[in-house]
Amino acid sequence: MYNLLVILFAKVLNFFANILCKILHKNNGNLLGKIVKKLSPDILKSIKIDCPVIAVTATNGKTTTNNAIRYMLEQNGKKVVSNSEGNNMETGIITTLIKACTLTGKIKADFVTFEVDESYVPVVFKKIPLSTLVVLDFFRDQLDRNGEVESLILKINEFLKTYDGNLVLNNDDPNVARLGRANENNKNVYYFSVDKYKYATEKEVEAGEGKFCPFDKTRLEYEYYQYSHIGKFKCPKCGYGEENLFAEIKDVDLEQRTFKENGITYKTLANNIYTVYNYAAVISVAKLYKLDAKEALKTFKLDNGRAENIEVNGCETIINLAKNPTGANVSLRTLNEDPEEKELLFVLNDKAADGHDVSWIWDINFEVKNVTRIVTAGTRAYDMAIRIKTSGFDADKIEPYLDLKEAVQALYRTKTKKYVIANYTALQPTRKEIFQLGTVLK
Amino acid sequence: MKELKLLYLYPDMLELYGDYGNIQVLKYRLEKRGINLIIDKYSIGDDAPDFASYDIVFAGGGADNEQSILSKDLIKYKDSIKDAVEKGVFFLLICGAYQLFGKYYKGVEGNIIPGLEVFNYYTVAEPDRKKRCIGNIVLSVDLNKFKNRSQTNNGVNKSFENNNEENSNLEKSIKAETNKFETEVIGFENHGGQTFDIESPFGKVLYGNGNKFGDTEEGYFKQNVIATYLHGPLLAKNPKISDYIISYCLERKYNEKIEIEKLDDSFEEKCREQLLEKFLKEKM
Repeated sequence: MYNLLVILFAKVLNFFANILCKILHKNNGNLLGKIVKKLSPDILKSIKIDCPVIAVTATNGKTTTNNAIRYMLEQNGKKVVSNSEGNNMETGIITTLIKACTLTGKIKADFVTFEVDESYVPVVFKKIPLSTLVVLDFFRDQLDRNGEVESLILKINEFLKTYDGNLVLNNDDPNVARLGRANENNKNVYYFSVDKYKYATEKEVEAGEGKFCPFDKTRLEYEYYQYSHIGKFKCPKCGYGEENLFAEIKDVDLEQRTFKENGITYKTLANNIYTVYNYAAVISVAKLYKLDAKEALKTFKLDNGRAENIEVNGCETIINLAKNPTGANVSLRTLNEDPEEKELLFVLNDKAADGHDVSWIWDINFEVKNVTRIVTAGTRAYDMAIRIKTSGFDADKIEPYLDLKEAVQALYRTKTKKYVIANYTALQPTRKEIFQLGTVLK
Repeated sequence: MKELKLLYLYPDMLELYGDYGNIQVLKYRLEKRGINLIIDKYSIGDDAPDFASYDIVFAGGGADNEQSILSKDLIKYKDSIKDAVEKGVFFLLICGAYQLFGKYYKGVEGNIIPGLEVFNYYTVAEPDRKKRCIGNIVLSVDLNKFKNRSQTNNGVNKSFENNNEENSNLEKSIKAETNKFETEVIGFENHGGQTFDIESPFGKVLYGNGNKFGDTEEGYFKQNVIATYLHGPLLAKNPKISDYIISYCLERKYNEKIEIEKLDDSFEEKCREQLLEKFLKEKM
């Protein structure tokens, strides 16, 4: 009864907060969830969800994949409730559900989809039912905030020991595929994989985690690496790495932006390998629920600084979020796969949400091709400049600015194609400065 | 062409916090001066390395799991590592490697992981796993500390004794430029282990924790050893430390006083200025 009152109160609060936010042009983020959680820590248990709940977790790719799943479901005519803005901790999920539910706490939808922060999977899904969990990848990420990757994986593994819903796993990440063995009795484990693409390598060229078999500590053998430690691996001792595939992406062509799955050709807007992995997860979910992903992926747009492609005063610009070494490495990979001449802006902040430790920039593989100038900005603009200089890039062609506006203006001094990489708190301010420069075509 | 040889220990296991950047910085600063750096790697399963044949040995920090695996391997080389330290090979040891070179590491459950016992300090894990020394850190380091002594058998100072003229010149310049070797060192610490019984610390803590929570001292320092918790990586923002190591190794190897060329460190200087102001102000 108390929880029902809290929900009612929260709905009223949300009503007035929305009006206030409209007047102030502000986004209230997950404040509602924070208030509600204070009033009732277990409020999630009182929200009635009768439809399937799909959740996506990973180090990188949560927002893109969750939004692509939501879009795919909607294109199939389904009504979806989702935390599309990326508020992925418990309070963000509470906010999403409170906003969407009826006055009595019911969710009326065909599907609920969430992106969930890796460490919150066990917390949130103790309280709400979960039908399908998608796990994309695990990379080192903000060690001073999150701790070691291994302890994060073990937490999720522990949760999965008693979970018997659908589990959709990336077979090409040894840190993810291992989760399929957490509960031997779960018959609903589905693996997806992407076949070797044009720029795959025989050796690992970027910092990665999956070096040893999680079951017998033997060094894993790789046939090839797609990026970081994602690739075709096998444990020479126990054979770990050879699962039956539920979805297998083949013939990846990043120039044509096409790939095949089970004989069907998909044409997408994605020009990079890690997004193809995200789409492999979307296709797996579509197959599980017997829906079509082909039409949806044809028009699903990447935006909001996730491989966002825009034109600023006629100058082609690609903006990408990178909050850890792998995020930055895959962005630079896309840059290097582009034969055109280009300039790069790298914005590095060290605020609380970014992690105060910027050592991770030394795990970035900074061998860039056809880059004529690099501008650095953010609270750690000079750290970035030192990093790039040390990689061998001509120091005279590096321009550090502590002021973001100055940096963006300096970047657009020329008409050369731009690549912009920004970390977590730097992304939106950087986009704002770029969008204020002039005419922007999406 | 002059060249230095570096041994990189467990590159696939001790590589958590971008510590490899230290080698990249050394290589960059050597190559800018026309000196080659040969990097040999050693990890589990490789042939035993000849530690004493190197100019520099480097090891970084890793995940707990990896560290417990490799400590068993490393201990096989206890004697040859001790020998190399005594002969004056430079050892740069970060975080986990710093701990492994001590007497032992006592884990959260009271389990003892034996160290190499090259140095007399020991480390005890903070019992509360959630409590760690995490954050930016600034030290004051006296790089002049060992310049007047000749304690190593094969080190720089002994070589100076063979040349009186050069020796007296050096002493003059040392007196005139004592401050030249005092430097603030900026880095980032992230460790649960608390290290005790340090005879000779790397630096005094101006901001941050140090060897233990709220300590006044950080790391371990000997003429040919820097062992520290500082990531960042350490050498990236601290060119004076890099050049101390480079000078030491060149002088030891070529047995002569070598004045290394000054490099353009304008990014480093601006970075240090910005961060020192930020951190030291935060403290006040």
